[in-house]
Amino acid sequence: MSSEIAFSDVRSLKSLLDTGRITPTELVSVFSGRIKSLNDISRAFITVTAEEAANAAGSLNKADLSKSSIAGIPFASKDLFDVRGIRTTAGSRVFQDRIATEDAFVIDRLRREHAIGLGKTNLHEFAFGATGENEVYGTCVNAYDPTRLAGGSSSGSAAAVAFGMVPAALGTDTGGSVRAPAALNGLVGLKPTIGRVSTRGVVPYCWTLDHVGIMTRTVADCADILEIISGYDPQDPASVSLPEEPYSASLGADFSGIRIGIPTRFFFERADPEVLAALELVKEHLSSRGAMLLPVTLPDMEHARTVSLTVQMPEALSAHSAYLEEHGHLYSRDFRAGLALGQCLLAEHYVKAKRFIECYRQQTNAIFRDVDLILTPATPEIAPEVGTVKTTRDGVSEAVGNAITRFTSFFNMTGHPALTMPCGMHSDGLPIGLQLVGRYFEERTIFQVASDLDQTEAFSIPLPKTDC
Amino acid sequence: MVLSAGNRETKVKPLAKTTLEAICEQMASHAWSDRELEELVDPKLGIITGFQDLLEELDILRNTDLGTTPPALGVQKS
Repeated sequence: MSSEIAFSDVRSLKSLLDTGRITPTELVSVFSGRIKSLNDISRAFITVTAEEAANAAGSLNKADLSKSSIAGIPFASKDLFDVRGIRTTAGSRVFQDRIATEDAFVIDRLRREHAIGLGKTNLHEFAFGATGENEVYGTCVNAYDPTRLAGGSSSGSAAAVAFGMVPAALGTDTGGSVRAPAALNGLVGLKPTIGRVSTRGVVPYCWTLDHVGIMTRTVADCADILEIISGYDPQDPASVSLPEEPYSASLGADFSGIRIGIPTRFFFERADPEVLAALELVKEHLSSRGAMLLPVTLPDMEHARTVSLTVQMPEALSAHSAYLEEHGHLYSRDFRAGLALGQCLLAEHYVKAKRFIECYRQQTNAIFRDVDLILTPATPEIAPEVGTVKTTRDGVSEAVGNAITRFTSFFNMTGHPALTMPCGMHSDGLPIGLQLVGRYFEERTIFQVASDLDQTEAFSIPLPKTDC
Repeated sequence: MVLSAGNRETKVKPLAKTTLEAICEQMASHAWSDRELEELVDPKLGIITGFQDLLEELDILRNTDLGTTPPALGVQKS
């Protein structure tokens, strides 16, 4: 029973709660037990709040449990999200004693709906990096093969769900840090439209590119959680005021006639052949369901990484300026190297990069006049081995973190909503993922198609074999 | 709108550590160690793919005409 619960999705657990077959206290106990058994291997959690979670679960009555789709359900949040009374380390020695005095906007939303926070998850220090390696709190491993990386920077959130320690988790995504680790671990990962979900109370890395994201086992769970955490926040300058939407209403809806763009370059190049083969099967399936697949030419990606980096590093330096003098020695060497680079870029470089981002946005919006969604692989490679520094594909060598986020980072610049989900297994026993990108604030269209794929047997993947 | 500068050549001189030291000394800057400035000139950590390469690419971007395109701000529902 314990293992069955551990790998259940939120909706299934909610059904057990609603019918009285399990209590919130028992649910918390199962997941707390999993964390106790598996955290040394997975390194998923930095701080576990089992006692607080048990108290919260014990206090819920029937009326509380009927309040929302997430009431009584345990979740985890990346250790960048402030949770009142709990430390927010950001995966760094710099913040090792920083106790949050208020809940982040999204934590407050979840708590108001009686979701139960079970702890704070590991990450690449301050979200600077996509491998999830962390010299202070350990490196998160992949649930399908502990010799492989979980990916990052939301490494702990991905590992926590994939190892069956929580059914859902929050992460942040600045270049793919939710979508990529979700894909490498066989999960659903969503980066909503920029401005859709408030980032207030989340330790910033790069204001222009940071997004709050969601990791779950199913598309339906992802839609349910987005309903809860999205909404206007007057205290977040990027927040957009729009009517709240019932995303779950689009699940399972017919999508025949939908136009899906298939990029003609970059996104289907320099990738593992098994990844490309899996995407071909997805295309065939979508066609069979009545979707029209149309070739699209996305903007030239030649300088995209440079543009992204030129915005990231000065913003990160500005965000950390207040801590550098007193705590500078506590940062890891690689992050300090990035901040030093931010110091030496010119203001004109930064502004030009932001103008390039506006061009990317305009060009991508123009594509969305002709198509409703864009389909790409989530990552060009499956989860790399722990310790991998570079990957080589078709004779081109690339830093492993860059490879992991090669297909995701562009959409942080454009701000379009993007979801990754599993679509097959590699012969090495690791998940392969796809990415669906939609128009601004049209997450429902993504959910519409993704929910069909989620329900299609051909794209389902086996659960990881964890020892618990 | 042209986003690629194609084969345009840059005129960025090879980066010298003394240049960075002078910038840090004369302009408002945090205290970077010798080793950190050295990393920018001759990267070993693998996180930053060479400041020299980045500067050359930035020079191409700087010389790319984006017309009157403003910097990216918020997004709106279309």
